This record gives sequence, structure tokens and C-alpha cells, in this order.
Amino acid sequence: MIVFIARRLVISFFVLLAATVIMFVLTALSGDPLEDLRQDNSPNRAAKIADRTERMQLDDPLPVRYLSWLGNVVRGDLGVNRDGHDVGVMLGDALSATLQLVVAATVMAIIIGIVIGIVSALRQYSGFDYSVTFAAFICFSLPVFWVAVMLKQYMAIEFNNWLKDPSIPPTVIGALALLGGLVFGALTTGDRRRRLLSFAVGLAVTGALFTLLSVTRWFADPGFGLPLLLAISLAAAVGFTVLSAGLNPRGPLYAALGAAVIGALASEVLTPVLSDPTWLEIFGLALVTVAVCAGLGYALGGLQRRQAVSAAVLTGLFTGGVIFVDRMLQAFNDYSAAVRGRPISTIGARTPNFEGNFWQMNLDSASHLLLPSMALILISLATYTRYSRASMLEVMNQDYVRTARAKGLPERTVVVKHAFRNGLIPITTLMAVDFAGVIGGAVVTETVFGWEGMGKMFITALDQVDPMPVMAFFIVTGTAIVVFNMIADILYAYLDPRIRLS
Amino acid sequence: MFHTRTSGKFLAVVAGGALLLSACAGEDSANKPEASGSASASAPAASTITYAYEQEFHSYNGNTAAENATRNNGPLQRVLAGFWFYGENGEITPDKDFGSYEKTSDSPLTVEYTFNDKAVWSDGTPIDCDDALLFWAYKSGKLPAFSTAGTTGVEDVKLPECNKGEKKFTFVYNKPFADWHANGPGATELLPAHIVAKQGGLSEDEFIAAVKATDKKKLEKAAKFFNDGWIAEGALPAADLIPASGPYKLSKLDAGQSLTFVANDKWWGTPAATPTIVERFIALDEQAQALQNREVQIIEPQPGPDVLNQLKALEGVKVNNTTQYTYEHLDFNFDSSEFKDKALREAFAKCVPRQLIVDNLIKPVAPEAKTLDIRNVAPFQSNHAAVVQASGGPGAYAQQDIEGAKAILEKAGKTGLEVKIGYQTPNPRRTSEVQLIKDSCDKAGFKVVDGGSEDFFGTVMPAGNFDVALFAWAGSSLVSGWGSTYTTPTKCDGESKGNNNGCYSNKKIDELVKKLNATVDVAAQDPILAEIEKILWADLATIPLFQHPGLSAWDETVQNVIPNPAQSTITWNMDKWSAA
Repeated sequence: MIVFIARRLVISFFVLLAATVIMFVLTALSGDPLEDLRQDNSPNRAAKIADRTERMQLDDPLPVRYLSWLGNVVRGDLGVNRDGHDVGVMLGDALSATLQLVVAATVMAIIIGIVIGIVSALRQYSGFDYSVTFAAFICFSLPVFWVAVMLKQYMAIEFNNWLKDPSIPPTVIGALALLGGLVFGALTTGDRRRRLLSFAVGLAVTGALFTLLSVTRWFADPGFGLPLLLAISLAAAVGFTVLSAGLNPRGPLYAALGAAVIGALASEVLTPVLSDPTWLEIFGLALVTVAVCAGLGYALGGLQRRQAVSAAVLTGLFTGGVIFVDRMLQAFNDYSAAVRGRPISTIGARTPNFEGNFWQMNLDSASHLLLPSMALILISLATYTRYSRASMLEVMNQDYVRTARAKGLPERTVVVKHAFRNGLIPITTLMAVDFAGVIGGAVVTETVFGWEGMGKMFITALDQVDPMPVMAFFIVTGTAIVVFNMIADILYAYLDPRIRLS
Repeated sequence: MFHTRTSGKFLAVVAGGALLLSACAGEDSANKPEASGSASASAPAASTITYAYEQEFHSYNGNTAAENATRNNGPLQRVLAGFWFYGENGEITPDKDFGSYEKTSDSPLTVEYTFNDKAVWSDGTPIDCDDALLFWAYKSGKLPAFSTAGTTGVEDVKLPECNKGEKKFTFVYNKPFADWHANGPGATELLPAHIVAKQGGLSEDEFIAAVKATDKKKLEKAAKFFNDGWIAEGALPAADLIPASGPYKLSKLDAGQSLTFVANDKWWGTPAATPTIVERFIALDEQAQALQNREVQIIEPQPGPDVLNQLKALEGVKVNNTTQYTYEHLDFNFDSSEFKDKALREAFAKCVPRQLIVDNLIKPVAPEAKTLDIRNVAPFQSNHAAVVQASGGPGAYAQQDIEGAKAILEKAGKTGLEVKIGYQTPNPRRTSEVQLIKDSCDKAGFKVVDGGSEDFFGTVMPAGNFDVALFAWAGSSLVSGWGSTYTTPTKCDGESKGNNNGCYSNKKIDELVKKLNATVDVAAQDPILAEIEKILWADLATIPLFQHPGLSAWDETVQNVIPNPAQSTITWNMDKWSAA
């Protein structure tokens, strides 16, 4: 393993080095770095041209410029851009903006995409499957800039207008109810009667839900409250137990339910801490949650101890997440008032000079992240859905899945343990490449939503024929691709023991 | 195939869980009391006004060669006040709060400057002699270690004689200078000398002595700080390095996001109307929606028909369509094209559809747009009408005359003459302009060729590989900036021709430009300007087309927003902005 990594690193280093030469030369030759100054008719044009020529070493031959760049990089100096800005500082700011923007979106896209993909694989050729396929292809072919403008118009501007009087018109409730009914109907298998029944249930439940939300003006002051919190976490407990252990024997279920109850109660008990915590405290609470839930699972798990532990821990963390969201929602009202009643924003990474408690600050970040994340998720969701559906279908038709069924394993075990894990292998490559790409930034999304990220830095520098920022960008993204590909290989070996790294 | 039935149960449970979650969400909210102070749209009198600008602020010192840009000087003009600023319509306006200046003698030209007695930097240090000396030090070119964006005017000023702590200083010129009224330290140009001295390891006395002796060695460290020490790398420099001399001071730079100004409590003039102003860095295309969502209150987006309609459709938003100082024009190549022959220039000028270009390309963006009659005085300047009148404007070329053009071409025997119109691509508007010119000039017998090139400014124009060049100049209310565009170059090559790309030459113009630059009486400049325009039209040195349209829009609850065509942009009076 270590030999493998070392060899890969050495080879990658030389590949990267060669690539920097190409990148530098191509950037430097891509245009005229003095173009904007040539259109300048101010008296000081000559001085400006001389100044930039000297800073960018435009009078030196290319190899000299490259070597001097390389020499500086070896000494840890990324140089300055054409206006004398420190590229190291630019890179730091851009990288942190990009990470904030894309990491959450990518993780969400991966999770949602894989879940939808698997469900549509399990429901192959059902109405749900066709709808997902259709939607995936639509999303796949949408231009980002257009999605972004639409999101800004309807999810931010119109939504904020609507928030002044958050009642949902009956026609919209009707449409949403119909949609809910269709989803439920499409997800159900069996004869027509059964599907109609679940369509009716979906219709009624969704309709009732949105009517209630509208009548109570929930959106004006959202939040869960203890009873709902409890209900959500108990439901999650059942769900996680079904996924990890099944409902029989009862041990894991009790452990998960216990985790849910403790979590929900803790949300009240911990109010002094939770009213204005720090990230460190939140992290600490998460650790405590894991420890307590693991203990619960261990104690109550019985024969299925391992599954019980994972069900309890997942439930605990999920409950914690719900409490987190609940607290943010409770802060919504004050936050909304602080930003003049227009909480969803179209541009930038935060409200300038906004000061508030922990929850309001997070809400501020969230309201700025919402639209760009939705744009990114919509686009990359399609890939993950299609990939995971295809790979899941392939696995489900393997002999070992049939064998697992033949020996009488419950469907849950077949899907979760035998099929799912194997189905993940091809997706791993996709994830690794995607993550590496993500660090390179999402040029269009960053520009449209006003995030000064990596993509923006790269495109601006390229536009200005300025090699220094381009090279800094390249070093980071190039290294990321090398590293993530290596991680993909290592994950391969972990997921599929037949693969040996050598 | 796998078991549909069993996996169905499995899914039903998951879906059931989801259903339970969503169902419960509704029930509980019924128990919740109605929000008592639900978010109201109308906030109390705004303590903050936010405006959008496309580029990020980068240096407290916008006077060095690299940082001399609107991204710095736009935000800084009410932070670093000066004796004058670009006021309404870009006119030179004395800042009476800051101090006063007057011409005390014509020969030699002498201008006396007096700082306001109460003038202090926001750190309490009085604004006086040493600050004026710093201005002279970096702008006169006598101390080249200080990076400067230009020495025009100040290079002819003798070292101001003033002593430590004095509030008065005098500029004595070696030769008359027409723009003397905008040549003293204006807004953004006067920087705190006590900071530079301290960072350069000098006391105030030592600094004053060193400047007076133009002691390059002693000032080396100070100059280094002047050039680089005020650059904002990801955050503003330390607060004690960037004191303000205007109604606002810089408070915070959030890299890539925003710049915050707060009212300067040491400001001695009319206090700022709004305590906090925020500049948000937002790409031009995204500003309209940001205004619609009221994340900013003032925007200056890229003018275009779509964005104009979008803004006009918004409720509670004022849209303004004033023009900019930049103007589009056609330049003939007098050196290496057939247009050396004046008759051919006449023919071409007659067939260029100036009105059609404005109608088709500019009016959709700026409904009030007109063709441009003269080059060096913008339509919104107070002396524009007078200069147009006195010069006669385009005269015979005001109306398109294809038949006339045809006749001239036929007479010269040049029908079918190929005309390469060069411009920098990509630029869709200029491509359309060339197309419109081609449509009508081809009728007159020219053969217009679209000479657009991605390297037009880089190599094509310097080498003179064009018959007609199409591009824009940035205008100004000053007269000293554009003279070199029309004066005879020493040699017609990329290095020596400067801004006179077509190598136009006329002895009369050379004299007039020289005379203009030496005319210190502003009113006396108009007849000379008119004379120059008259000759430029008679010679057909260039053909002015139109003034570039500007576009700004703001929330109508914000008062006193006045767009400005000069590079000072809309922020020139930000201390007057107020919002209900």
C-alpha cells in the first residue's frame, strides 16, 4: 500500500511538473496582457504599460518567466498578479469561498442522487422510474446561468415577496397535493387498487399538510417544537432500524427509539448551551451523541449488536441534525426582520456587516448558500441518479444476489448488504473525480451568484492573460485531481477486497 | 429479477416514515402561536445604504500606476477629500469644506491653496504642509521612487514652499497650464504624510526636509510604503494606517464581498447623511436582480435593452439613462491608406450612417440618444452647446449623403475602393456598426471589409494595418488629456505615435492644442476648442459617432442619488445619500 502510494505520488509529481510548463506557456501566449491599457487615452498610459511590463516580466523570454515562477514556487511564493495583488492571498480567499459553496452542494447531490437512483432501480420501469429518468435528463440539459436566473426570480425575489403574506393559494395546494399523490402512487407496487389507494393517501396527506402550513402562516415563523421533534426522530429511528437491522428482533429498534427520545429531550435540557453555542460546542455535542448512542446500541442490541449501534448512532446524529435545523428555523423571524423581510438572497456569500447569534449567522450563510447550492445540485444530481441506477440494476441481476435471495435472506439484507455496497464501487470513481473537479470551482455558478471562488479567479486571470493566478489555480486543482484519484483507488480496495493495490 | 413484493414492503416503510415526518410538521405548527412581531417589510429609517460595483476595492492609495483605477478611486472620493472633485456632470468642482484655492498671478501662474483650519485626519493629526509636500513628492516625478499614475501638470510646479504645520501652500508653475484648477490635490489625491513618514522611519521634520531636498535615499523606505503599504490583501490595512479626510472612513473589507464605510466623526464639514454605506462587489449582469431583491439600493449595470426593460418594470425603482464620457469614433489611417486623400475621407464621411447607428444600436438602450457632433466636449458639459455652435459641428456631414459620396468616388476614379474597418473583437455592437456602415457605404461604391481582430489593439493598430479604426476614447472635462491624440507625432510607428493612431497631422492643430494647454482662463478655452473642432471636421481627422450610454437605477426611497458620467461614478456624493 505504502509503496503504491509513494510510486503514484512520484509519478504524479512529474506529470504535474510537465503540465505546469504547458499551462504556463499556453496562458502566456493566450492573448495580449496589455490590451486594456492600449485602449487607454489617459496621459499616463506609457507609465502604466511600463509598470505592468516590469511586474509581469513581459520583456523576458517565456522560459525565463517560467523558471523564475518555478523558482519562486519552490520557495513558497506564488507571486503577484498583473496589478501586484498577492496571489497567495487571492488563492486562500478563493479556495475557502469555493469550498463553502461546493462541498455541501456536492455532498447533498451525492446523497440525494444515490438514494433516488437506487429507488428508481428497485422500481425499474415504474412510473417513478420513468419520471426520475425524465427529470434527470431535463436537469442534465439545463444551462446553469438560466437555472440561476430562474432560481433568483422565483426562489428568492418572488418567495420573499410572498413571505410578507405567506398563505398558499388553493390552486397551488391542489397542484402540490396532486404531485404528492402521484409520487406516492408511483412508489407503490401491486395491483391497481393498492396504487389508487396510496395515490389517495398521498393526495390527502400533502393537501392537508400544505393547507395547515398556509392557514397557520407557518412560513412567517417556522420551527418544529418538541412534539414534532420527537415525532420526526422516532420516525427516523424506525427508518434507520429498518435499513440497518430490520424490526425483528426488537433490540436495535429499542436502541434507536431510545436514542431518538433522549435526543429530543436533550433539545430542551440543553437550551442554555443551545441558545448561542459555538461550532466547537456543537462538535462536542455530536461526539457525546455518538458515544451515548453507541452505548445504547451496545446495551440493547443483543445478538444484533453491531447493527443496533449503527442504527442508534445514525438516529442520534439525525435527531441532532433536526434539532440544529429547528434552532435555525426559530431564529428565522428575527433574521428576516434584520434583513428587511427579504431573507433569501440572490448574491454574495453573506449580508455585509450582519451580526447575530450563532443561529442567525448560520441562517445568513444558509440563505446565501441556498440558491447556488440548488443550482449545483440540480445539475449534478442527474449524473449521480443515472450512474447509481445503472450500477444498482447491474448488481441486482448478479448471481450472488440471486444466491442471497435463494438462501432466504430478507429483501432488506439483500438490498442493503449485498447489492448496495457492490453497487457503490463504480460510483466511487465518479465521486472522486467530481470532488476534484469541484475544487476547481464552478465558474458560472460562482459568477452568477457573486462568489469569488477558484473558478472566478481562474477565468479572470485567463481573461487578463495573467499566468500567476492561473498557475496557482492549476497547482491546487491538479494536486486535488491526483490525490482524489488515489483516494478512489484506495476506496476501491476497501469496498472490493478482490482488488489489491500493488 | 428480484422480488417486487418484498422490496415493496421495504419501500413502503421508508415512504411511510417520510409521510409521518411531513404529516407531523403540519400538526404541530397549528399549536404554535402566531408570530407576534412578524417580519415587516418596512424597516425604520435606514442606517445603511448599499450600492453595487463590479470590481473589488484594492488599495487605499489609488495614485500609483497599478492602482489608479475606479475600483479604488470611486469608493475613496468621499474618504480622501481634496480641494476639488468631479461634481455633477463630471465638472471640476471645488470642495469648499476641505479648503480653498485661487489663482493669484498669471505670470508666472501661481495658485494659492489654503486648508480649512479645522481640517484633520480622522486620527486627529492636522492636514497641513507635509501632506501637500507628499502630493508634490509623488506627482512631480522628481522623486521617481514614488510610483505615480501621471505627472501631467505637477511636473511643471515648483516645490511648494511651506513649513511644518502651515495650512497654506502655493503652486508656482514654470509655464502656463490650462487645467490648473484641477491640478492641485483633488479628492483621493491627498494622502496622509504623517503615516508615510512614520512608516519610512522619519519624523515629520525629517520628512519635510527630505522632500524639500528631494533626498531620494532618505525617502526610499517611505516611497516603498507609499507604493505597496496601503494595498489591501484580503483585508484592509491596519486602521491606524488609513485615516480619512472626508465624511466617511473605511471600516471593513470583506474579501470578494463588500467594503464598508462608516461616518468619520472627525469630519468638520456637513456630516454624512447616512451613518453606514456598503459597497458590494457584484458582476454587472447580476445587479438588476440584486436591486429587485433589495440586497442593494443603487446599481450601475451594463446598459442593454433587456436590462433597461427589466428595470423599468420594477416597482419603486428609479431608472436613469445619462450618458458616459466615453465616445465611439472612426479614425482614418493617414499614413498607409488611401484615406490620405481628403476627397476619399469626405466620401466616406458622407456615407457613414451616423443616425442609423444611433437609432438601431443605441436608442434601444438609451431612448434619448443623439449622434455626437463634436469630439472633445461631451453633450452634458455646460459649454457643449456653445462649442458646437461656434465650430459649426458636423456641418455638411450631419446628414448621410450616399449620392454625394458616390459622386466624389466616381470623380476620383476610386469606385470599388476596399476599406478595412478595424476594431477589437469580440464586440457585437461594433460588429453591427461595421455591418451598418458596410450596407450604406457599399451603395456609395466603397467595398467595406470587416477587419475585426482579437489582437487589434495589440498588434494591428500599432502597425497601422487598417484603413479606418473603430473604437472609443474616454473623455473628460479637462483639456490637457486629449491633445496628443491630434498633434503631429514625431514618427509614425507603434512606439512614437502615442494616441494619434492614424498619424493625423495639421500644423494649425498643433499650435491650437499648445495654445489651449496654456490658456489658464477657463472661459477663454471655448473659442479655441471650437476652432479645433472646426478644423478636425474640415480635415475629417476622425468621425465621432455617439456617446456611450450609461445606466443606473436605485430604490426610490433613497434620496439624492445623482449619476455622474466621469470616472468618479455614482459615488461622488455618497455623503448626501439618505434613505427613508
